[in-house]
Parts: sequence; structure tokens; C-alpha cells
Amino acid sequence: MRWRPAVIVCLLSALSLVPAASGGGGVSVRDAWIRETPPGMAMMAGYMELRNDTSRPQVLVGASSSGFAKVMIHRTIVKDGMAGMVHASRIELAPNGSLNFAPGGYHLMLMNPKQLLRAGDRAVINLEFRGGLVLPVDFEVRK
Amino acid sequence: MYKISFKFSIMVTTLALAAVLAAVWLAKLDREHESRAMLLPDRVMTLFPDPKPVTAFALSDDKNRAFNLASLKGKWSFLFFGFIHCPDVCPTTLAVLARARGNIAKNTVGAENIQFVFISVDPNRDTASKLRQYVDYFDSSFLGVTGDNAQIGNLAGQLGAAYQVAITPGVENYPVYHSTAVFLLDPRARYHAVFTPPHDAEAISKRFKVVRELEAGNAT
Ligand SMILES: [Cu+2]
Repeated sequence: MRWRPAVIVCLLSALSLVPAASGGGGVSVRDAWIRETPPGMAMMAGYMELRNDTSRPQVLVGASSSGFAKVMIHRTIVKDGMAGMVHASRIELAPNGSLNFAPGGYHLMLMNPKQLLRAGDRAVINLEFRGGLVLPVDFEVRK
Repeated sequence: MYKISFKFSIMVTTLALAAVLAAVWLAKLDREHESRAMLLPDRVMTLFPDPKPVTAFALSDDKNRAFNLASLKGKWSFLFFGFIHCPDVCPTTLAVLARARGNIAKNTVGAENIQFVFISVDPNRDTASKLRQYVDYFDSSFLGVTGDNAQIGNLAGQLGAAYQVAITPGVENYPVYHSTAVFLLDPRARYHAVFTPPHDAEAISKRFKVVRELEAGNAT
């Protein structure tokens, strides 16, 4: 089939993203924080500013953490006057672009924290990018 | 060439003049009618010229006491519909409301006649004791309220607060969709104003102060 070489090229370029993204001037995170919740809450939300300082698009495809049963990438959307959350299976970051995970928009949905997290505590969340890059990010719990 | 640049300079002059006039007008408006200027329709609050009275409803609060029409009388009430399992919108809004209440308590005379009510649209999971614990976290003066679905729908419907609870058998974290607005009811239990997101504590407390001043003016 004619498109096969194109697919292979894509895969190769995806693999080549790994060193580009993990080195200096790669993908970085600023202001990573988790909102403290009342004790016993099954769900918490994490926010951050995600930057792509590479010259290629980078695609966030998932997240995980040993501190939570499950981490998902969510987006709060408002439709018909109602807010709800949708799962974002992939988020593309444009070359030299940034994306803000902020209240009322994108957030990391942190399910069933394994221990009580209070303001000042920290938790590491691994951001997983297409091509295999995993970026561990240190989040601070804030009130 | 001359013509174009001449036209252009007229255009620039006109725009500049318009901008100056607008600035002067706004400054004047701000000085002389600060309260009115703040009540122009904006992105923070919509004030209803002819507030609609809320009719009877029957809910219960976080200490299992009745929460009904009488509970709204004699107080300004800030109402927000949500659910405890909500990780993003509800904690964000309640944190803003807690700060707004703090501002109001500092800056407004008669601030004791206000109440902030979190109405859970998810009574299936949100019991009275859980609600008490939840609202306490944000502000111990907040009240948690819920009830049966028909009565939540009754009050929500009167305020145009949309919500949908998508209970799915076997799914623990079923989704709940809900209005993000904060509803302001006056001491006569009339739907007086609505605050729309993104919510800001300063903006809410400032506008509430103006609403109170206007009402005081109307009453005398
Ligand atoms: Cu979420």
C-alpha cells in the first residue's frame, strides 16, 4: 500500500522525539500544584503550565503516579449551561507552545490518593508523551 | 497617496477623539455613578430589574433540618449547585465564595444577614453529614443542602440551574453535570441576580456591596 512508507516515517520521527524532549529546552512544567481537598475525598485535581520548547509538536498521552490509584487527563467543559468533565486521550502541544492546566479547564484527575495529602505535601506525577518520553513532575499540594 | 494619508489621519484623529471622550465619560460615570456603572451588564453579574419570587420547595440541610422558602427569608442567599465528588469546578467555586464572604464580612454593614448555600444535586452520595464536613472545609458558616430529586429539581428549575446526574449501575464515579453560576436571592426570597464564571471573590463582594446599597436606597 502506498501510505506504508509514510507511516514508518511517522513512527521513526516519533521515536526521535524522545531525546529532543528529555534534554534541555525540551518539554517542561512550571507551577505544578494539586488542590488540597477536604479529607476523605476520592478525587483531587492537579494543575500546571506545560511548555514545549522543542521545534516539534509533542503529544501528552497519559499520566500516572504511585501516589494515586489512577491519573487521567481531563478537561472541564461547559455545555448547555452545565459544567462536566471529559477525558482527553491526547493533547497536542505545538512547537514552542504552552498549555495551561488551570481550574475550569484542563486538569490531571487524581483518583483515590493512597495517603492523605495536606497543603505543603508533595507528589510526583509522571507525564507520558507519545514516543515514550516520561516526564516526572513534582507537584505541591496547596490550599 | 496624499488623499489616502489625509483620510487616514482624519480617521486616526476621530478615533483618538472618540477614545478621549469615552475615557472622560467613563471616568465621570465612575465618579458620579459608581454604583450604576458597576451594574451595567457585564461578565460577572446579571442583575434582574424585576426579581422573581421563589415559590415553595422542601429540602433539608446538613444537620437534617428543613431548608425551605422560610430559610431564604430575611437573608441574602448565595446559592451554588454542585456535588461533593466534583474535583475541579466545585472546590474552585467554594474557595472563591469563602473569600468573597470574608470580604463582605469586612466591608459590608449587615453582613450577618447573608448565607452561602451549597446545594448538592447528588443526594445519592452526598449525605447530610458528608455535606457538613465538606462545606466546613471551605467556611464553617456555609450551609450544605440536599433533598430528593424532585425538590432539587424544583428549586433548580426556578433559578434556571441546569444539572444532570448520570447514575450508571456499577459505576462508582458516575458523572454529574451542573450549572456553574452562583445565584443571589434577596431577603424576600426573590431571584435577584446571578454571578457567572469565571468567579472572582473581589468582583463578587464588590458587586454585592453595590446591590445592597441600591436595595437600601430603594427601601427608603
Ligand atoms: Cu476531572
